[in-house]
Amino acid sequence: MRLRWQLLVNSLRRPGRRAELGLQILWFLMGASLVLGGGIGFFFGAFGLLRIGRGDLLDLLLWAIFLIWQFAPILFEGYSPGLNFREVARYPVSFRVMFFLSAAYGVSDPAAIACLFWLLSFWLGLAVARPEWAIIAVPALLLFAVLNLFLSRIVVGLFERFQSTRKGRERMVLVMFLFLILMNVVQMNATRLATKRGFKLPPWVNQALTSIRDFSPPGMALHTFLFTGLSALWSFAGLLLAALFLFLLLRKQLRRVYQGEIYAEAYKVRREMKIHQGWRFPLIDDVTAAIVEKELRYIRQTFRLVLQVLYPPIIFLILAFNTPGWTRLFAGRPQSLLAGTAAFMLMSVPNLSYNVFGMDKEGFGRWLLSPPPLRKVLMAKNLTHGGLLAGLYLLVVVVVQVLTGVGLVPVLTVTVGFFAVLVIQLCAGNIVSVHWPKRIELTRMNSRMASNAAGLASLVVMMPLSAIIAIVILVSHYWQLPWLPLLCGAVILAASLKLYSYVLDWAARYTWEHLEEITGNLGA
Amino acid sequence: MAETVLQTVALRRTFGPLIAVDNLDLSVEKQQFYGFLGPNGAGKSTTIKMLTGLLRPTSGEVHILGRNLASDSVEIKRRIGVVPEGLSLFERLTGAQLLNFVARMYGLSRATAAERSAELLEFMDLKDSADKLVADYSHGMKKKTALAAAVIHGPEILFLDEPFEGVDAIAATTLKRLLQRFVARGGTVFLTSHVLEVVERLCSHIGIIQTGRLVASGSLEELRSGVKVAGHDHSPLTLEEIFLQVVGGARQDAEVLSWL
Repeated sequence: MRLRWQLLVNSLRRPGRRAELGLQILWFLMGASLVLGGGIGFFFGAFGLLRIGRGDLLDLLLWAIFLIWQFAPILFEGYSPGLNFREVARYPVSFRVMFFLSAAYGVSDPAAIACLFWLLSFWLGLAVARPEWAIIAVPALLLFAVLNLFLSRIVVGLFERFQSTRKGRERMVLVMFLFLILMNVVQMNATRLATKRGFKLPPWVNQALTSIRDFSPPGMALHTFLFTGLSALWSFAGLLLAALFLFLLLRKQLRRVYQGEIYAEAYKVRREMKIHQGWRFPLIDDVTAAIVEKELRYIRQTFRLVLQVLYPPIIFLILAFNTPGWTRLFAGRPQSLLAGTAAFMLMSVPNLSYNVFGMDKEGFGRWLLSPPPLRKVLMAKNLTHGGLLAGLYLLVVVVVQVLTGVGLVPVLTVTVGFFAVLVIQLCAGNIVSVHWPKRIELTRMNSRMASNAAGLASLVVMMPLSAIIAIVILVSHYWQLPWLPLLCGAVILAASLKLYSYVLDWAARYTWEHLEEITGNLGA
Repeated sequence: MAETVLQTVALRRTFGPLIAVDNLDLSVEKQQFYGFLGPNGAGKSTTIKMLTGLLRPTSGEVHILGRNLASDSVEIKRRIGVVPEGLSLFERLTGAQLLNFVARMYGLSRATAAERSAELLEFMDLKDSADKLVADYSHGMKKKTALAAAVIHGPEILFLDEPFEGVDAIAATTLKRLLQRFVARGGTVFLTSHVLEVVERLCSHIGIIQTGRLVASGSLEELRSGVKVAGHDHSPLTLEEIFLQVVGGARQDAEVLSWL
């Protein structure tokens, strides 16, 4: 805790970080409300299930805690400065101390704090509904917490190990991508089947699910106080064994780090040096093409960005081809689906464009040393990000057009709207990028893609835009003016392009006037 | 009369109450190998950053190749090469991709960029690591890559901030060879270094900065004639002796940590 606090205090010494802290407090309050709400939910969930005599379902609540504890640190980025335990190993600390530090650091992770609070709420629900379980549930839930802690440290360690090499990152992109798609396919099909009348799972699936529930940590934790006698003892022993196994695994993993294991890919020496000529793109000059090539190469190595960019169109395709009634869906209002996909895609802009120098780190100085003006550099970066999203969006448009033959006007309306919002988002991105630059560590799990201010700025941009879009659609429906959205979209697009040019000049000027702050924040 | 390619007029940089560089008047002529020396925190890196556009001066002017850096920075950047303190490399590119990229940023055609990248990787003995990420390079390899990136467009002046720091003897020899050839062919080098032997062997002219002020400047011979060292015999003074005399000398044994 003290270490995390010191890291936070030190980070405030840099200019602009105080504003960041203000925003961080805002995010903290929002997060705290969410955690508090969750706590109330877990309390009443446990209490209610016991009151209606469905104590056997309590493990579902523990499953929720288990999954959030393990997946939240991976799927969402950390919200506080991080510590690399490979660096701790450099100091004269014994392995035991390092192990303890690692575990203690894991407890102070926001996801762990939330899960511990929910576990406490769960216990309170149990204690109020069944006071006789209050004492007996304590060791089981404590052991469950310890097991979660060990497992989360192992998982984060493994992901960091993957992230530290280029090959590992590329493999991770693929695995995460397939996992997310699989989850969506399963979820959609499960929803469809569940709503089907008279549908029942095959007995073997039921049996497998029961076994998983029984022998999983949440199941074993529950059975420790739900069952009595030998069954309860067996469950506790199982939980203890699982925790012990994870302890040994974490110990082995940390021991390697302690002994100075360096994660780096084995490099194969090539016999012949092959230098490829740089990429070329139609309609753009060579300098811009070089910057676009560099940006695309960087994005390719950032699995979170690749996922965020590819996820919306993939979900769209799954929706389009996996839903049996897709013809009905498209025949009804295909432009709605298109607009939804466009909005979904625009949500990934902040991660791409709200910290355009973040991945450059020390390389930021290269932009200052090179002859192309910063305006051109920013524009090339925006072109890369905007072009990537626009390309994917146009792919979706083509699919919709081929499948449904939707009219030109609705497609044009959504497309103009998409580009108008995209340009406005890029404007906001440039302002945030130079005002609150943040160094991104690709090899660290808890390195966020943009500053805290970026999230808020994105909300500030998107809320009024959404309101304007909603008003235009309502007016167009009310007064039967089908051309109004297209006209408004075109006007907003023209205005946003004018604004974009102004923002580019401003951002370049601001950068030169605040070079020290920016280079300080980027470590350049 | 030799052409002045670098000149600063009353260059000053402050960081709050701290004066990092104080009214610095420098003059470097074409084909000079200029070594800029000073103790830690004297203002060397701040000066070189201001000379290359990485830091804005608080006041004063910088003229490079007859142009004012403040008003003509793009043209100046085209004609200079820089190895900055932090190297400023895009470490997520491979060595080959990085050099190719830098060359294209200076307006070289794709073919020329690829050709020069290959030549430089070969010269710097980096060809076996050409498709390895710069992040995975050793410090010496990164230094060589930064120098290759600084010369790929054929600059007229090179600014090098501590080019020999953390570089092994083999790599240092390669760098020295490249720099000597560059000067012999009409280029000018402005470098900062802590390695006085290297500066003494390479540099034709030397400037010494202390607490932000230029305290000595000239050719090595001019410095030798201007510095007197008590108790010294008639052999020529080494640069180290001149340096210590100018900046205040080393601590006596009695001052060294008694417990160490």
